[in-house]
Amino acid sequence: MSGTELTENELIEERIDLSRNTCPNREQRANGINVWYGKASDLAKEARSGCLRQRERNFQQSSGCVLNFYLSVRIGTIRDAVAIYHAPVGCSSAALGYRELYRHVPVELGRPANFDLHWMTTNLGERDVVYGAGEKLREAIKEAERRYNPKAIFVLTSCTSGIIGEDIEGTVSQVQPEIKATIVPIHCEGSRSRLVQTGYDAFWHAVLKYLVKKPEKKQKDLVNVASMLSYTWQDRLEIKRLLGKVGLRVNFVPEFASVEQFEQLSEAAVTAPLCPTYTDYLARGLKQEYGIPYFLYPSPMGVAHTDEWLREIGRHTGKEREIEALIKEEHEKWLPKLKAIRQEFENFKGNGEKVEVLGALGQGRLLAQVPYFDELGLKSSAAMCQDFDNLILKDLEKLIAQMGDFDILVNTFQAAEQTHITNQRNPDIAMTCPFQGGAFKRDKGVTRVHALRSDAHPWSAQSGYTGAIAFGNFLLQSLKSHSYQRTMKEKTQSTYKDWWYKQPNSLYYLKAEE
Amino acid sequence: MGISEPLETNNVISGAIEAPRYSCALAGAYSTAVGMFGVVPILHSGAGCGIGQLFGQFYGGGQNAGGPYGGTSTPCSSLVEEHVIFGGEKKLESLIESTVELVNGELFAVISGCVPSLIGDDVGAVIRRYKEKKPEIPIIHVNTSGFAGTSYEGYEYFFDSVIDQLLEEKVPKEKGLVNVFGIVPFQHIFWKGEARTIKTLLEKIGLKANLIVGEFDALENLKKIPAAEYNIILSSWVGHETAKKLEEKFDTPYISFPGVPIGPKQTSEFLRVIGERLDVSIDVIEDLISSEERRAYRFAEYVGDVLLIARPHPYFAVVADSNSAVSITKYLANEMGYLPDIVQITDNPPEEARELINEELTTGLETPAWPEIIYEVDAYRIRENLKDRNFMFLLASSLETFISGPEFNAIHLTVSFPSYDRIILERSYAGFSGGLTLMEDVMSKYAGPL
Repeated sequence: MSGTELTENELIEERIDLSRNTCPNREQRANGINVWYGKASDLAKEARSGCLRQRERNFQQSSGCVLNFYLSVRIGTIRDAVAIYHAPVGCSSAALGYRELYRHVPVELGRPANFDLHWMTTNLGERDVVYGAGEKLREAIKEAERRYNPKAIFVLTSCTSGIIGEDIEGTVSQVQPEIKATIVPIHCEGSRSRLVQTGYDAFWHAVLKYLVKKPEKKQKDLVNVASMLSYTWQDRLEIKRLLGKVGLRVNFVPEFASVEQFEQLSEAAVTAPLCPTYTDYLARGLKQEYGIPYFLYPSPMGVAHTDEWLREIGRHTGKEREIEALIKEEHEKWLPKLKAIRQEFENFKGNGEKVEVLGALGQGRLLAQVPYFDELGLKSSAAMCQDFDNLILKDLEKLIAQMGDFDILVNTFQAAEQTHITNQRNPDIAMTCPFQGGAFKRDKGVTRVHALRSDAHPWSAQSGYTGAIAFGNFLLQSLKSHSYQRTMKEKTQSTYKDWWYKQPNSLYYLKAEE
Repeated sequence: MGISEPLETNNVISGAIEAPRYSCALAGAYSTAVGMFGVVPILHSGAGCGIGQLFGQFYGGGQNAGGPYGGTSTPCSSLVEEHVIFGGEKKLESLIESTVELVNGELFAVISGCVPSLIGDDVGAVIRRYKEKKPEIPIIHVNTSGFAGTSYEGYEYFFDSVIDQLLEEKVPKEKGLVNVFGIVPFQHIFWKGEARTIKTLLEKIGLKANLIVGEFDALENLKKIPAAEYNIILSSWVGHETAKKLEEKFDTPYISFPGVPIGPKQTSEFLRVIGERLDVSIDVIEDLISSEERRAYRFAEYVGDVLLIARPHPYFAVVADSNSAVSITKYLANEMGYLPDIVQITDNPPEEARELINEELTTGLETPAWPEIIYEVDAYRIRENLKDRNFMFLLASSLETFISGPEFNAIHLTVSFPSYDRIILERSYAGFSGGLTLMEDVMSKYAGPL
């Protein structure tokens, strides 16, 4: 295979086939993997030549499935809808916080005062597993309508409903005539794919197939933005502020959106990313079905990328001049602040060495974070990301060309591997996420990768210009805090035995190829 | 297909439910494993089961992180389609090998989820082979699944496996040793503090209490189970299957209480009954009661003004699992003069337990105001049932946090699962001074300058 390079349409299955019940898995659609450790340039080379293959591990930790938690804590935030989990009772327990989500956002900051979120479980039991549960699902859909008169009812599948062969489409088409709400079946059986991002595609597939309406009118000032739970209320406000200044409106989906906002996706001027691989399937689908232009790179993280992100939107909305004026105005305000942060980082060690940070989370965040850290004057000689697929290959190649090579550990919340790489690299700041096990127990700085959606504090922002500055200051602050992680390292037992830290390979448990 | 020996339940709910306040049997077994320090759970399931329960059990159970073995720290076979077709046994085999090699732990507990149950993996055989190869490694298999029941049944499944696979032989009884069951880690959000308080109380009357949950040295504690003279069950139904099985296998008698005792009255009664059954000297019991009571009531005098001037004899509502609902309602009614308006029980106890619960919540109350008692798991109906009533306080879960004021004009406190809005580490309402803690929490919700 060496020497051959695959073209874009060999790398990615570009066509979205809405006549099917669901999307292809990321493994098939874009050769996705979530096991890799080595140089980013080698990863890109293997992917480009088509040699990159998913490998097995002999040791694995619970890392999330297509349904949990990617969809189970998201779909339930859609307003005037009901989510029904066609699953045993445990598959939806992650959604039990539903009545508390977004409630901490003050109404003065634009959160609707009145909203009510809903979900149900068909609570599959031993009997259902033997006899099937189509009737139960039908009744649940009817009950959801009786209770809440929603505009949409999402039906989410599970390993169990999949393995016992529930005919979801059959049940839905049978009951739909009796139901006013649009029923939207989402095929998110946990066992269908190794890659949690398949869940995004499965969700968008259902949205495109069932919920998006043919455009009644074009809304030339409307920008679709797919927002995730890792973007806070302040991030939304910043994006609204920036686009509002040039007379554009933002259609944030799916988190906390109304059903109407989904229906209107086809009327927007452009689809813009926060995370490219989260937005990808939706953006392509809207382009293919309704001709809505899109771009997937860059995301509005850091000053330079925010500039480019705004320019891209400007190009698609005929606002180029206004955007340039906006960028100029914003730079005047924020660049001096960025410079001050940069200086403080540069002086931090006192020996001319840069502060080293180990970060990233999703593959999209990888593309955004590495240049942003460089902007702050930080060094990131290694990064982690949850998965990798060909959707970001071109942008990764570009990133390597710009920033130079770096090491990359691809794994989906594999706590032992993450603890190992953090220990071995020993960066000044290790960015963590609640799902990284014991990686936080260390001597140097620890902070979070991102805050969450209901966080309305300006201190937690990361997007746009205010976010670039807020997060820079936030990272500076993290360098001054050590007591919790140090004490925990000293006083609690490690989950893993000592030998783990003494051997050099974070991917020690990579299974030999047969 | 499914569970080889299903536990007998008469409380299966057949319809769809909105947001029930528990998770599945896998989740209950997993929470139980994580709740005793030294057990390494190994999930033989899809990759999302551990993370799902990090959100659904550990965060829900008092906003706790997964700790060293929970959440993403939990080894998991992460089954996908190819295992559905070809089986997951080989994957599990190598996962057990690597886990034992890598992870510090005393006992390894393989917990099966829906996928292996549905595809018919012979997990028992995998474990037997491993045991033959490595007899020195303590390992059990909790043969459950998501569709086999609720978190509460998962707790029983865990102990069922311990009894069958870890506790093979009868051992001599140890004088004064008692096991305590019925507190389900995370589902009973105050589990750690409750376990500690009950242990201390029992030690004060000369018993050696094996709480198991919330304690270190899990393997040693589990192995001690057969040596106990008595099993104490702090629930009208949870832990009863376990107690019955231990009675059959090891001739250990058991005694049950409707919940963890809160405040001096319930705690004194608890100690007197225990004392009588276990032959503790009456003097020891009564001395402890009188010194602890004296202190607790002396302190209770300090809430007098904020109680009697600001919010005297208010009606209150409770939404909680049966253990918590009974103990909290009794404390408020019998010690603080609060009036029970409605009690909704959310853990779906079996019929025979309901009789006892009903009795506790009526004739067991020192007030003519008997509450309406409703057994309900559906969050929509629970909310409907709270409409148009007199209560001024709502002791419930964080599902009610934001609706309590606007919809019911009531002051809310999270005392039951899920508790996303209260971080519970060591706090509990158990024991003589637990009632004072409960009053602090309730009254701090409205206290201000008088």
